Amino acid sequence: MAENPNVCLSLESRPENVLIVRQVLSGVAEAAGINALELNDISTAVSEACNNVVQHAYGDAHGPMEVELYLQPGTLCAIVRDHGAGIRPLIDGAGEEGAVGIGLPLILALATRVEFVDPPGGGLEVHLEFKVTAEHTLTVPAGSIPAWSRHSTSDLADGTVRLDIAPAEIVRAVMGRVVCALAARAAFSTDGIAHAQELADSLAAHTANPPGTGHLRVGIIPAPGARALEMRVGPLRSGAELGDLEHVLSRLAEDYSVTRDGPSEVLAVRLTETR
Amino acid sequence: MSSATYSPAASGTQPATPVFAAEGEAALFNRWQGHADTAAREALVSRYMPLARSLARRYGRSSEPFEDLLQVASLGLLKAIDRFDASRGFPFRAFAVPTILGEMRRYFRDSGWAVHVPRSVQERALKVRGAQEGLTNQAGRAPTVGQIAQFLELDTEEVIDALQAIQSYETVSLDAQAPGAEEDGASYGDSLGEEDGRYELVELGATVASVMSHLPERERRILHMRFVEDLTQSEIAERIGVSQMQVSRLLRRSLEQLRTLTGGAAEGS
Repeated sequence: MAENPNVCLSLESRPENVLIVRQVLSGVAEAAGINALELNDISTAVSEACNNVVQHAYGDAHGPMEVELYLQPGTLCAIVRDHGAGIRPLIDGAGEEGAVGIGLPLILALATRVEFVDPPGGGLEVHLEFKVTAEHTLTVPAGSIPAWSRHSTSDLADGTVRLDIAPAEIVRAVMGRVVCALAARAAFSTDGIAHAQELADSLAAHTANPPGTGHLRVGIIPAPGARALEMRVGPLRSGAELGDLEHVLSRLAEDYSVTRDGPSEVLAVRLTETR
Repeated sequence: MSSATYSPAASGTQPATPVFAAEGEAALFNRWQGHADTAAREALVSRYMPLARSLARRYGRSSEPFEDLLQVASLGLLKAIDRFDASRGFPFRAFAVPTILGEMRRYFRDSGWAVHVPRSVQERALKVRGAQEGLTNQAGRAPTVGQIAQFLELDTEEVIDALQAIQSYETVSLDAQAPGAEEDGASYGDSLGEEDGRYELVELGATVASVMSHLPERERRILHMRFVEDLTQSEIAERIGVSQMQVSRLLRRSLEQLRTLTGGAAEGS
């Protein structure tokens, strides 16, 4: 499997987060031109692998769930990883009539190749491979390693969703969907969600690095109690002014700031419903 | 038997599904496959209908209407029951899952589902937009996704997908003509009003597949064209050479018959 995924997603193993995984898959499919039939197969199988993490990886508790997506010519690979109980019986759907034992046969029937890997650090990796007829090749620049999601799996308990996305062509579709879903979770009204989507679009346009410059890191925390959404996005397009984005930010965001993170600049935005 | 295959360790922590004694099940397969005992088939169908339903729900997340897919899943289940070789000692479930999935995938492929999806998403988007406006007028402020979901009896993900669609199709009027409906000038808005008893089918649910065979050939064909091939009443009328009004009547009558039959089946069991 290639070294550098197009998308690297980290979130907590909660049932409601499987929806986020599906939104990411839909975004990738849209950007790559993967058809609805193939997406449905992929989405169903990956959801089952995630459901298994949610239900069995950490007993009654929750822990990190990571999903990596690799787009290659003719193939989409997905890795679903946890740091939990390791190889375990892949049963699921507890309490749902007729569902026990569906997960594994379903995954086996939908993916072209399935592999269970016992990673060195513990936990379980399910590797899924799907044949796809993508319209566009979306190559991750060589040497661009998702620096964020993959190496920091702590602090997801506050609802944080972390994403590394490359190349620039898929940022808009993926980020728009994730922001919409998390704004809904933060109890935004449809007006607030429309604002969040508008902001996500501007952010995607502004942070979209020229092809070949690596992964965009996105962190989003929904705060339902405060009807707020906090986002960190970087690196910003190097050396550029915020420009148009500044207008959007001052109109929609409650608060925003640009901070330096190593060699690059990162934008932090707080969006609230009452604004 | 099937649970032993997949859950040796977990059986202590979770109640295993009620598994029927393996020989009981093998006997049922034998009675149906060897002796054409339809009561045995009925028993197998009702045992495994929850499996078919669960698969349809998982696989058909973005499919609308759900009951069409449930019909297809039921068909897949019937095929699996016909073809399963109980003597080989594998659990039926392991055979049924890929068979039912195969049926649903074929249905999606053959019915041009990939083309229909955008349409059903648009239809849902239209409903969501309507609910959004209605609820806004009612409460004086825009509703949350949860409120829309509750109002339309959708799940939040369906509403989120619809909002997504509203955003990306903003420039496309939902009142534009539905693709393939140019002849009779139907718009997306129109097709929402036409329910054709789809919701009745949901209520009838699982038992429909098993009583379908009691309907006359023509009625079955019409039901198939309407609910599986997703043809409009006018399209069906053209195919079988009757008026659209007649198709409408035949559909209504078939659904009534189905309701009677399933009601009868429920009383009988």
